Order: sequence, then structure tokens, then C-alpha cells
Amino acid sequence: MEWLMWFSKPENTKPVALIIFFVTFVSILLYVYGSKNRSKRLETYRNIPFLDEQQDEKSLGDQKDTKDKQ
Amino acid sequence: MNFNFKHEWIETNIGLMAVLTMLAISVGGLVEIAPLFFIDKTIEKVEGVRPYTPLEQRGRDIYQREGCYLCHSQMIRPFRDEKLRYGHYSLAAESQYDHPFQWGSKRTGPDLARVGGKYSNEWQVQHLVAPRSMVPESVMPNYPWLLSTQLDISDTADRMKALRKVGVPYSLTQEEYKANVVKFGETVAPLLHIPDAQKNLLEQANFGNYDGDRSGVSEMDALVAYLQVLGTMVDFSKYDDDAFVNDR
Amino acid sequence: MAVTTYSGAEQYNFDIVKKFAVMSLVWAVIGMFVGVYIASELAWPFLNFDSPYFSFGRFRPVHTTSVIFGFGGSALFATSYYVVQRTCQTRLISDGMASFTFWGWMAIIVLADISYVLGYTQSREYAEMEWPIDILIEVVWVTYLILFVGTIMRRKQPHIYVANWFYLAFILATALLHTFNNLAMPVDLFSMKSYSLFAGTQDAMTQWWYGHNAVGFFLTAAFLGMMYYFVPKQAGRPIYSYRLSIVHFWALGFMYMWVGAHHLHWTALPDWTSSLAAAFSILLLMPSWGGMINGIMTLSGAWDKLRTDPIMRFMIVALSFYGMSTFEGPMMSLKEVNALSHYTDWTVGHVHSGALGWVAMISFGSLYHMIPKLWDTKMYSQKLIEWHFWLATIGIVLYIVAMWISGITQGLMWRSFDEFGNLQYSFAESVAAMMPFYAMRAIGGMFFFTGAVLMLFNSLMTIRQSKLENAVLEAKLAAKLARA
Repeated sequence: MEWLMWFSKPENTKPVALIIFFVTFVSILLYVYGSKNRSKRLETYRNIPFLDEQQDEKSLGDQKDTKDKQ
Repeated sequence: MNFNFKHEWIETNIGLMAVLTMLAISVGGLVEIAPLFFIDKTIEKVEGVRPYTPLEQRGRDIYQREGCYLCHSQMIRPFRDEKLRYGHYSLAAESQYDHPFQWGSKRTGPDLARVGGKYSNEWQVQHLVAPRSMVPESVMPNYPWLLSTQLDISDTADRMKALRKVGVPYSLTQEEYKANVVKFGETVAPLLHIPDAQKNLLEQANFGNYDGDRSGVSEMDALVAYLQVLGTMVDFSKYDDDAFVNDR
Repeated sequence: MAVTTYSGAEQYNFDIVKKFAVMSLVWAVIGMFVGVYIASELAWPFLNFDSPYFSFGRFRPVHTTSVIFGFGGSALFATSYYVVQRTCQTRLISDGMASFTFWGWMAIIVLADISYVLGYTQSREYAEMEWPIDILIEVVWVTYLILFVGTIMRRKQPHIYVANWFYLAFILATALLHTFNNLAMPVDLFSMKSYSLFAGTQDAMTQWWYGHNAVGFFLTAAFLGMMYYFVPKQAGRPIYSYRLSIVHFWALGFMYMWVGAHHLHWTALPDWTSSLAAAFSILLLMPSWGGMINGIMTLSGAWDKLRTDPIMRFMIVALSFYGMSTFEGPMMSLKEVNALSHYTDWTVGHVHSGALGWVAMISFGSLYHMIPKLWDTKMYSQKLIEWHFWLATIGIVLYIVAMWISGITQGLMWRSFDEFGNLQYSFAESVAAMMPFYAMRAIGGMFFFTGAVLMLFNSLMTIRQSKLENAVLEAKLAAKLARA
């Protein structure tokens, strides 16, 4: 646990926090916005919440059918 | 990203997502909390701070029970106005035996970190029973039941034992007692001895006579005993003004 | 509640969602009533009535627990069960476990509220429940985690929608925080009293690591999950940017956990800890605003909905308050500002601009969207929704403005000196100066509370209406069958 002491010095933690955060952040940004194809692909997942409606309609239709048959 | 990472790996794998989320949320706490337990400087070396006596500790339990911490802080900050109003800024060492801490987060009423000895017992009792009779502007509730309720002292020793288990140096054995004599001196050590808990409590209540009624030990006795010890353990006249600055 | 009209009734477990949705509103009304009451106690102290049970100190945790865990928690259970089923297109893996989380959670809130009034408290803000209740929470929470993750594992849709990430982070973080902040030693097995495992500085740090992340994950991440599902659904258009939501999620999850120590500026906590927390608090502005922009921009191109759709208005106002309080927060975490704002009503105002403005408003919006769908009908009254919206908005504004003025006044009065270098005001004088603002705050709270009562009424009438509609439908069907 001795290594944890190193974090207790602001002169160590400040630049490290900055570097870790910045590098991770920039790489996430590069990944997410870096390529057009990838962007296009990622954006298709926006529609997931609307998929259930198609299903609802389908099953609602099923239900109507069964109701009519009754 | 030449190993062709895809965020979809995470998005389609709940296990991976859970693990990565857990990692992301664990770093902050680990880095900020864990070192506090290992760094010597976190708590200053200072003379005089001792665990609470049985009566004071029972008073502290009542302080917690009534939710005093919701309106009163016990943490004086190092500002000029706070020094004038409340006294020397609070040291980490002063709450080292506080399970749990009572630093508070709000001052609807004034800070109480050094309220001990500022007012007489009579003032404290009257103020707790009817705050507006002493301070007309006050919005504090009345606490009349503290005076009329007898303190339940049956589990005093059990409470001290529980505190001992979490690290408060109350003594159960003769060795521990001797260690306390070395650490806290001959007058304090007997007060921290668990087998004598009830006797010590009754003696202090009777001697201190905090609520002005010697016929029994009320909850008021305990609470006032606690309030009167707050912030009085360290004698700051023994230290330079900036003795603790480097510990911050 | 055996209404089985909606198509989802067999496919999804909506019964559990309905239960939590109704109880969420019930707890909102109870919790906000207690809130108004304790606010009034501060303005008019006679309301404490010399009673141990209703004195401010014991009653305040009843308010916080009822609104955060009762109202907020139930709303999160309801929406998370709804969202996870609909976005995974599968039923919850176990009705029994779902039912257990409901009854367990209700028992927790009731037991906690009763125990506070009787004087049992750990005196840790927002974690006041004593150890036996903490153990019950742990059990319910693990069940919740298993149920949620299990349902996701059974999904028909290959992708896990972003709303579920946020719900997952909230469940995991809450488990972590709850466990470590409540480590305590009971006096004995039959005693409600326990003592925290940690003391002083370490205890303070652990508590505020919990305290702020209860805000960060319970009251923010989870409600963002709500936002990511219900705002697009209500607007009828997909979320503004999926890529932004990826950045938003990871940055928010990582950074929130660092900022708790900004509650302990200038205290005996070592300086390095609170400085680190302040730095991260500032950085946190970015993901917070990223989320806000993502939500608000979802409506771009359909702004006219704001004029016609009161539910949409709830959501957009919620996001605006989210943006406002996530700007105010980092500002208050600057040491210089904190020196003035800490210990004052400004903090209380800040919390409520987040809790009323963001958490409650987004919940109201989501519940208004969800309730008609669950009971397969329309809301009983659109007009009451309009009324609710305006009551809530006016209430919040009154509340926040009162607390800003009183907070800054307090801070300034405490630190002002006269020409001789003595303190200019006694503490009591600062208390006297607060009176009008405490009254104003209580009135603001009453507005907000009244709105919540309207919503509960509106929702109960909606449920009644749905049952009547059903009865008519079934009668028709029966008649048709009889003729055939």
C-alpha cells in the first residue's frame, strides 16, 4: 500500500490526473468521432427505443386477430 | 487504435460493460480515500485528545439521536471570522475518536466544535429546554424531554465495547489499562476502563450535576456533559499560532 | 391491478412497473409534505410542538429518505424495469424477484422513516438508516442487480441501449457506495445502535464520497437513463447523438467518483484531497453539459412541441435545471466560492435546484409518458398536467431564489467586520435575517407539493378511467359473443 502515498502529493497527482484524463478523453473522442463509417454505424443505434413500437403494433395486430376469431 | 477496438464489444456484452463500469467508478474513491488511512500526516500529533468518558459518549449518542448535526457543524475553518466567532480552527486529531464524525454540513445554528466551557451548565439546560428564552431570534426546537427522561445506562459497557472494536482505546484488560495510563495519564485512564463504565458514569453525573438535579441521571446530564467537553481537550496556548499549518 | 388490455401485458411484466409508478407518486406526496413541514418549522419554530417525534432533527431524514429513496427510488425502479424490458424486447427474468424488490423497497422506506422518528439514526446524511435496514437494502439491491443484468442477458436485441448503461452504472455504484459507507459495529445483535467503523477525517471522507455520489449516481446517472429513453420517445425522434452519449457515459461515470471531497473544503481533511476533488468538479461540467445538450437537442426541429405538449415541457425544463445546477455545482466547489457558500442555505438551494428542477421534473415527465401507456388509456386531464407544470416551476423558482438570497446573506453576515476589526453581526442576528426567506422557501415548497398532489390525483383518476373503459369493452365483447 506504500505506493498509494505517492498520490498524496498534489505535485504528483495533479499532472497525473490531467494526463490520464486527457489521454483517455482524447482517445475516446478520436474513436467516437474519428471515422465517418464508424460514426454512421454508431448513430444507427439511436433507434433502439423505437423498435418496440413496431413489435407492439405487430402483437397488437395479432391480438386483434385473435379477438376477431373469438 | 490499431487493434481495431469496437465500442460495440462493450455494448453487446453486459459482463464486459459491468466490469469496465466498475473500473471507471472505483478509481476515484480508491485514490482519494485509501491513502487517508496510511498517511501519518492526515492526523496531527497533538496532546490532550482522549476518548469520551462514558457519560460524554452517552451524551454524544443523544446528540446524534436528535439530529443536532443537521443544523450545527463541528468543524471550524481557518478563517479570521471563524477564529473570532468560534476559536482555533479544528484539527483532524480532535475528532480521531469520533465514530461517526459529526463535522456537519450546515449552520442553521452556530458551530459547536468549541462550545465546551463557553456557557454555564444552567445556560445550556435552559437553552435546550426553551431556546427562545435565552436567544429570542433562535429557531431551534425545544428539547424538554431531555430533562424528564432518565438516561438508559444499562448498555453503557456494551456501547464502549463496540467502540473498542472499531478502534477507540477503551480498556478491557489490565494490559490495556496500563497502556492507557502511559498514553493518557493516571487521571484519564480509569475513566476509559470498561468494567468501571457504569460507576464512572454515575460518578461524573453526580459530581458534574449538569442538569441541576442530583436525584438521578437524565439525558440532559449526558448531553450537557458532552457539549461541555467539545473542543476543550487541546490546550492551544501550548502551541504556536501556525504550529498546524503544515499538516493541512 | 389486473388490467390486461395492453399488448405488452403478456410479453412484459408491467404489473411491477405499475406498482412502483403509483408508489413513486405516493412517496412524492408524503416526502414533499414532510419537506414543507420541516421548512415551516424553520420559519415558525412553534411547529416543533415540543414533541421528540416531529422535531426538525428527527424529521428531516424522513423528508430526505422519502423523497430520494421513496419517490426517486420507486420512479427509478419503475422506469428501469419498463425501459429494460422495452429496449431488450424481453420480459423480466423473474416475477418473484421483481415482486421482492417492490415489497422489500417499500418495507425499507417505511422502517427507515419510523426508525428516524423514534431516534434511531447513523447520523450520516442520506444514509441515516441503522444497520438492520442497511442489510435489507443490500439484499434488495443485489436482487435488483441480478434481475436487471439477467434481463439484459436474455435480450432479443443484440445492442444494449444507452439508457440501460446508465441504469447499470447507477445500480453498481449504489451497491459500492452503500456497502462501504455503512460499515459499522452494532452495540449488540438486538440493538439498533451501531458505531461507524471509521472515525473523524476518514469517516468524513467516506461519508461525502457516498453523499456526493448518491447525487451523482442515484440522482443523476439513473435519471439520465430515464432521459435517454423517455425524451426521445416523447419527442418521437431519436436521441440527438449516440456518439455523444458514449463520451457522456464514460466521462460521467469516471469523474463523478472523485468530487465528493468538495463537501469538505477548508476542513481538517488534507488539502490534497479536496483540491483534487475541486479539479474534477470543474472537469465534470463537460460531461454534464454534454448530456444536457444531447437531451435538449433531441428536440431540435420539433420545438413547436414545447408549446403544445406539457409533458415535453417537463422534460426540457428538467434538462435546463440540470444544466443550471451542474454549472452552479462546479462553481461552488471552487475553494474561494465554497468559503462563502458552505454551511449556508445556498447549498440547500443548490441541492433543490437539482432535486426539484432536474430529478423530480424528469420523473414527472417520464411518469406522465408512461402511465397512459401502462394502463392503455389517455391521461385523465391534460389541464391538470398544465397546472402541475406551472405550480412546480413557480415553486422551484421561489425556493431557489429564497435560498440564494438567504445563503449569500448568511455567508456575508458571518464574515463581515466593523471598523474596529470585530465581528459585525452576532450569529443570532444572521438567524433573524433569514426568517422572510425561510417563509418564502416554505411557500415555494407548498407550490411544488400541490403540483405533486394534482399529479397523484390525475394518475389515480387515469387508472380508474382505464378500468371503466375496460369494463365497457368487456361488456361489449360479451354482448357480441352472446349474439354470436
